[in-house]
Amino acid sequence: MGTEGVCGEMFYPNHEEIQKWMDKAFEMAKDALENGEVPVGCLLVYNNEVIGKGRNEVNETKNATRHAEMVALDELRDWCELKGLEVKTVCEKTVLYVTVEPCIMCAAALRLFNLPVVVYGCRNDRFGGCGSVLDISSANLPQTGTKFKCVAGHRAEEAVEMLKTFYKQENPNAPNPKTRKQ
Amino acid sequence: MEPERKRHRTRRRLRRSDPGQKTDFKLVLELNAMHPFTNLTHLKRVRACRSKDSPHALEILICLVKDATSPLNNDFSNAALGEPFVVKIPSRPPLTRPQFELASKHWPTSFHEDKLVSTALRGELFNAKQKAKMQEYMMLAVDAAKEGKKLGLKAIGAVIVDPNSDKIIAKSHDCSQNHPLQHAVMVCIDLVAQSQGGGCYSYEKYTSCQFNFVDLNNGASQPYICTGYDLYVTKEPCVLCAMALVHSRIGRVFYGTDSEDGAMGTKFKIHAQKDLNHRFEVFKGVLVGLCKELDKEERDGVDTKDSAICVL
Repeated sequence: MGTEGVCGEMFYPNHEEIQKWMDKAFEMAKDALENGEVPVGCLLVYNNEVIGKGRNEVNETKNATRHAEMVALDELRDWCELKGLEVKTVCEKTVLYVTVEPCIMCAAALRLFNLPVVVYGCRNDRFGGCGSVLDISSANLPQTGTKFKCVAGHRAEEAVEMLKTFYKQENPNAPNPKTRKQ
Repeated sequence: MEPERKRHRTRRRLRRSDPGQKTDFKLVLELNAMHPFTNLTHLKRVRACRSKDSPHALEILICLVKDATSPLNNDFSNAALGEPFVVKIPSRPPLTRPQFELASKHWPTSFHEDKLVSTALRGELFNAKQKAKMQEYMMLAVDAAKEGKKLGLKAIGAVIVDPNSDKIIAKSHDCSQNHPLQHAVMVCIDLVAQSQGGGCYSYEKYTSCQFNFVDLNNGASQPYICTGYDLYVTKEPCVLCAMALVHSRIGRVFYGTDSEDGAMGTKFKIHAQKDLNHRFEVFKGVLVGLCKELDKEERDGVDTKDSAICVL
């Protein structure tokens, strides 16, 4: 496995790459947690270069769709524009590294950007779109971009712990929080 | 409303018995332990024998044909039982009265009527005034779709309104040529954010994508994302938009016509998805004629004149 001479089905990050970029994603998540933000780290890597990264921006934009992945995809678009590259061509060889499984909405967004591979840490039982609630990554949706592969479970326990720590604090913007039935 | 109307029947084995009440009870208990009906709680386990010349008084469901051991349930024997036979049963609980009546013809079935669904099926959920309002809002979405089309974009339009004040909060059309995620609904959600002083994109070049600031002077409470708002969209939302609406805590959704990858009835029902933290009602068929026409033009690339307005 490797990223050289890759196309379509063959494109897949190797073990060292996963290790390296997931470490970076976890650093971001930790940093976010220390700053009172949702502890999710998220990187888009193309040609061994980070071309997009993001953190949750829901509260400051008052737009509930501004998840880390959505922010990172916008950075990817800006990067492509800057470099004069076509978004589609770049996306075909870009990997998303994220500490938590993307939600249903983000999974659909990743399909619409034609990303081939997503590497994530822990499952997302509340919103997960790569199998936990629904499997959007491999669903038959011909009008919704392309399917993508998932590499799951890297440092999963650590990712869960960070989320647990965060959700113990309350979101001051949410009205009447409802506790989830066990 | 999207009630399940399909009815599947599964065949299942059944034995007759005539052992008196106490033994019946024991039999049912034994059966429940051996063949529990975990997903079939809408079925009565026992019924009175329908045929008058049968030597047995009762008929009991044993198990699904697919779960029966070969040759004939030899794991379950009781001297009081007659020969097993196969009967058709409703595989899912009935959601409407006609479904219940049909189901009961095959096997006694319990029915918990959903008043909302029944009212909707009778066409009495909304009065004439409410329907007129819905059509008015959908017409705005249709107009926005046409404005987008004039710019060479996909003919899909969306409007978000506050049903309590009848105020239009945001209006948009598809901008996905500009950005792959700027579907009409996604743009509308961002415009709602802008109406609350947030938002993240500029739609300067799309003059039909507009929002109205929320007026807080009339004692209105501070809005929180799309809570309590209604969305009108010409086409069924896709997975991206449907989940964005869950995150945005939309109140209700009204759409015109189905989408191939639709996530509110066609491929998924994200608004009613188990495990998600927000659910909402979805109604399809508002101005269905006009919305279908927009969609057809989109596919055929043909421009046709306005057709008659269809009623919900």
